[in-house]
Order: sequence, then C-alpha cells, then structure tokens
Amino acid sequence: MRRLLPSSLLGQVLLSIALALFAAQAFNAVLLYRGMIERQQNASANALAFRLLAPERRGSELELPPELREPRRGPGMRGRGLRLERSESDPVRAADVRLPAIEARLRDILRLQGYAPAQIAVVRRAIDDDPRALRFFTARARRQGEDIPDTLVLAAVRNDAAGDWRIARVAEGPRTGRRAIGGIVFQTLVLTLVLFGVLWLVLRRITRPLAALTARTRSFAAAPREAELLAPSGPDDVRELIEAHNALEARIVALLDEKDVMLGAIGHDLKTPLAALRVRIEGVEDKTRRTKMAAGIAELDRMLDDILSLARIGRPQDEPEMLDLAPLATGVVEEYEDRGRPVTLVDADKAVGRFRATWVRRALRNLVDNALRYGGAARVSLRREGDNAVLIVSDDGPGIPAERIAAMMEPFRRGEKSRNRATGGSGLGLTLSRAIAEQHGGTLCLANRDGGGLDAVLRLPL
Amino acid sequence: MTDLSAPAILLVDDEPTLREPLAEYLTGQGFVVTEAESAAQARARLDEQGFALALVDIMMPGEDGLSLCRHLIEARDLPTILLTARGEATDRIVGLEIGADDYVTKPFEPRELVARIRSVLRRATRAPGDDTDETCAYHFDGWTLDPTRQRLIDPEGVLVDITGADFRLLKALLDHPGQVLDRDRLLDFVQGREQHMFDRAVDNQVSRLRRKMARNGDEQLIQTIRGGGYRLAAEVRRVECEA
Repeated sequence: MRRLLPSSLLGQVLLSIALALFAAQAFNAVLLYRGMIERQQNASANALAFRLLAPERRGSELELPPELREPRRGPGMRGRGLRLERSESDPVRAADVRLPAIEARLRDILRLQGYAPAQIAVVRRAIDDDPRALRFFTARARRQGEDIPDTLVLAAVRNDAAGDWRIARVAEGPRTGRRAIGGIVFQTLVLTLVLFGVLWLVLRRITRPLAALTARTRSFAAAPREAELLAPSGPDDVRELIEAHNALEARIVALLDEKDVMLGAIGHDLKTPLAALRVRIEGVEDKTRRTKMAAGIAELDRMLDDILSLARIGRPQDEPEMLDLAPLATGVVEEYEDRGRPVTLVDADKAVGRFRATWVRRALRNLVDNALRYGGAARVSLRREGDNAVLIVSDDGPGIPAERIAAMMEPFRRGEKSRNRATGGSGLGLTLSRAIAEQHGGTLCLANRDGGGLDAVLRLPL
Repeated sequence: MTDLSAPAILLVDDEPTLREPLAEYLTGQGFVVTEAESAAQARARLDEQGFALALVDIMMPGEDGLSLCRHLIEARDLPTILLTARGEATDRIVGLEIGADDYVTKPFEPRELVARIRSVLRRATRAPGDDTDETCAYHFDGWTLDPTRQRLIDPEGVLVDITGADFRLLKALLDHPGQVLDRDRLLDFVQGREQHMFDRAVDNQVSRLRRKMARNGDEQLIQTIRGGGYRLAAEVRRVECEA
C-alpha cells in the first residue's frame, strides 16, 4: 500500500488536494441529493393536496393559496391531471411502497387548509400496476408527446373509518438523483483538473529549484569544486534554502582550499629540509651508511607523498582521460625491473577507459610495494573482464588472516605488528589504493589464494 | 664568458638549509655556484655576471620561481631547472610550459640533479639554433607526441602511458626521422635520470617502447638496422608552438 503512495512533494500535494476535494464534493453531493428529494416530496405532496382539495373547494368554498395552484401549463395543454377516484375499499395494495414522508407533508398541508381526514395513505405504485393511470398517461402521451412516467404517487384519504376513500394520483417526477450525482462527479473532475493544473504550475516553481539543488548537492558531494553556484530561484523559502546551500558550498570549498594550501605548505616545509638532508648525506664517506641513510629519506618521502595524496584524493586536480592500462602496467613493472626488483608482468590485455594515469599508477605501485614487502616478489596481471579492467598483484607471501582483511584497508595498518618498522611503509598504501579505486568507481579486494599467497584485485570499470 | 669545464650556476632558493649544502655539493662536482636567496637577488647577480644555467626553487616569498623562470628564459635565454617541493603533475606541466628545461622534485638525489644539469648544459651547447623545445606536437603515422607534457596519444585518441626513458627514446627518433641512430647516440638521449645504462639498455628500451606502441597488424614503426641502430619509419610532422 505504502508503495502506491506518491513520495514526491508534487505527488503528495496533488494527492491530498484530490482527496480533500473528493471529500468536500461527496458531502456536497449528499446535501444536494437530500435537498432534491425534499423538493420532490414537496412537489408530490402539493400536487396531491391540490387534487384532493379541488372537489372539496367547490363544495366547501375553500380558497386555495397560490402555492397550491397547479403550475400553469404551456399552450394547448389541458391543465387537468388524473381525476379523483372514489372507492369503498382500501386502495393500498401489497406491491405499493408507503411514503410516510410525503404522507406527513400532505397531512400538514391539508390541515392548513382546514381539512383533517381520519385516514391518509400515500404510496408509490408502478404505473403498470395501475390500469387507470396507465390509460390516462398513455392517452396523454399520445396527445402531447410526453413520456409515460414509470411510477406514480397515490394518496388515499377518508373522513371517517367507514367512509369512502378518495384517491388522487400524480405522476412521480423523474428520479433526477442520478443525473445530479453525475453532475457533481463531472464538476469534481473539472475542479480537480483545474486545481491540478494551477498547483502543478505553482509547485513546479518549488520543485524545479529543489530538483536542481538536489542534483547540485549530489555532484558537489561527489566532487567538491568551485563551479558556478546555483542561481536562487522559486519562492522565498526555496530561494533562501539555495542561498544557504551556496553559502555552505562556499564554506566547504574555502575549507578544502585552506586544506590544500596547508598541505602544500606542509609538503614544502617538510620536503625542503628532507632535500637538504639528502644533499648532506652525500658527504658521508661510508658507502653502506650513505645508502641506508638515503633509503631512509626515500622512505620518508614516500610516506609524505602517501599522506599528501590521501588528503588530496577527493579533489584530484587532473581530469580522467582515455587511457590504455596495458602500457601503464607495463611501465610500472619496468620501473621495478630497472631497480632489480623481482616484479614480473603476466598478462597485459588492452584495457581502454577513462582513468587518471598518475593515480592508477600510484595505486598499482602501492600494491606492488606491498607484495614485495610481505611476499618477496610480485606478479602483475591486467585482464579485461566484461566492462571491467582487472589488475591483480599476486605474491607468494603468508597472506592475511581472513578476519583481518577488512582492517588492512584502514589507514596506518600494517600486516604484522612485529614487522611494523622493519618492513616499513606508511601503512597508507592499501587505504590509498582503495581510495583511488573508488575515485574511479572501482573496487580493491584482497584475497588469500588456496595454495598460499595473496591476490590484491583492483577492479576498475572501463 | 663561462668556462665550459667549470660551468657557472645560479642557485636560487630562499631556504639556506638546502641552498648552502647544495651549493657546496655542486661546487664539489666541479661547478662554480653563485647563491641567491630571492628572485630580486638573482636578478642582481645576473646583471653582475653570466651564467650557464639557473637552478630555481618555485616556492619563494616575494616574486616566485615561476615568474623568475619566465624572465630567465624569455629575457636572458638562460637554461633553467626548476626545484619544487610539490610533485603534482600540474606544477610540472606549468613549469615545462613556460619553458623550463627540466624539473626536479624535492627531495632529489644529488647525483641525479647533477646528471640533469649536465644533460641540460649539453643540449644548450650542442644545438643553440636547432631548439627542438619549440615543437608543441609531433604527428606520425596517426600518433601524436606532446613533448611538453610527455604524452603519447595513439591513432584512436587513447593515452599511452610511457616512462621518461620511453619518451626520450621516442623523441630522439622523432627529431631525426628516417635517420639511423646508433646505440651510442641513442644512449646519449635516453640516459636521462637513469645513470647506469649500457648498449644493451638501448635495445631493451626499444623493445619496451615497441611493446607499448604495439597495435594489431601494424608494421614496426621503430626499425632495427642490422649492425647500425634504430630508425623511425614514419613521416613526422611537427607543430610549432604558437608564440
């Protein structure tokens, strides 16, 4: 049920308006119907009273008030209805329907005219059950082209319990109830359509800026950058929301800029003394000591780079471009080959997609570094699987206990506590690689192989 | 003018902790080093004497290194190597686009810096008229090489990631289209940052570049000339940079 309800602002407002409108119109319809029934009953009661009183009037010289006179008819029409009938027996039959409401009304009218019969019965009777009326109306229909009514209202009165019944008949007006209801339904539909149209125009002024704001917020969340701000539009409430959002965006951009400037400064302030240290090391005579010191500085430099990269990954300065990953993977493996590290390339399928070369290269290097650190050697393979490029870096090391794989992706985690400093690494490698994978809409998974060793699987959509 | 055996180098860096030991080290490597701690001081030194090359730190208070670099290249025609703490690709590109001859990221290996200084000096003395750095793009057989950004684009518009050595090899071949370059000459070009390369290394580098540029049904773009060396078998069209 919940699923059928509209969830959008426009849908919900329109639905509530429609429901309110239908409720109001239904109430209206009931009132209208009741009024109509009452009018019809009055008309029947009046007509019956007229017929019953007409002969009485001649006898008793009663003056009929104007509202009891039969309505004037058009030219060529005989103003007389069905004649009054006199009967000794009770005229009410089993098939007749008693109409107590009209009965009460008729009694009131007659009493006003000073006539209080001992017994009054008012019934509805189908025209086919009343040969006398049928004959009359058929004749009239033939004469004046009027429709034969379906039912008639019959009133029987007698002055005392043993007297004759005097019986009056009037045709019952058509049951206009249904037509009136139809009118109300039509009216409701027209109102609904008009309201919907107007509301849609008004609401669109609200929902369109809101939709734009949603899209803007979403894209800003994905990649916060100083783009053209959303122009405030719509009613004041929405306009103010957009202005507040723009202020928020400006604040976030300013904070990020501040962060970048700060990182740049940190990078500069740490790397310059590091460079000075590196230069001074050249003065060390002992070659092995010099090499060790240089390696230490290189390690520090890499850590610094990892930290700076991780901090900047949300706001890459370069746009992704069409790139073949095969030469990239090949190039990374060659770098290690040149340094005499045991890294081999197994497969290099052509895999062209939109990537940021510097970042993918960094992710791959981190995975290879990890494999070398914990497994001693690394195999790199690049395969195309459907719409994904799959880069796998495998080692033959001890792997990672399954329950710790997730924790390995967290910043500053290293494989084994005992190997912390000896094996080095900033502990940011995997975190950074995963962040880079996510930056490209891909994933990074670590999986122990059955025969031992670890596979780091970098999956990037093409 | 300058003594070719002991080239005069202008070292501009605001940080004395780096500038002083670096000057000392470079002096030990046979250069005559003049220090400057700001762009203004560097300009003053430039008026006093001639230099063979300038080493300029990008991030300095006052006038920054990029602005000084632009002045050095445009007004003084002095070969310049930029020093920077930031390794961002955009910084490198900006530096190379304004015409810096090379770009070194802190912390650098002093030996590598010396190798690069020598390489820039060699280029500057060898071909003053034939300044290949004016080329903005090489087009050959559907491929495009952007020498400033070191970007190689294949005939389908896809970026082919190449290493520095790949780039230098390819650029050497493109600068000498149709000519056979022997291993010694290629080694000269390719030996940039990597210092211990031998003849075999050239063969290895060529096969690496071939692998990256390999396309289905393509003939070898880089041909091996028996007993000679290598040659690029394609017509090369250069696009000059717009001033």
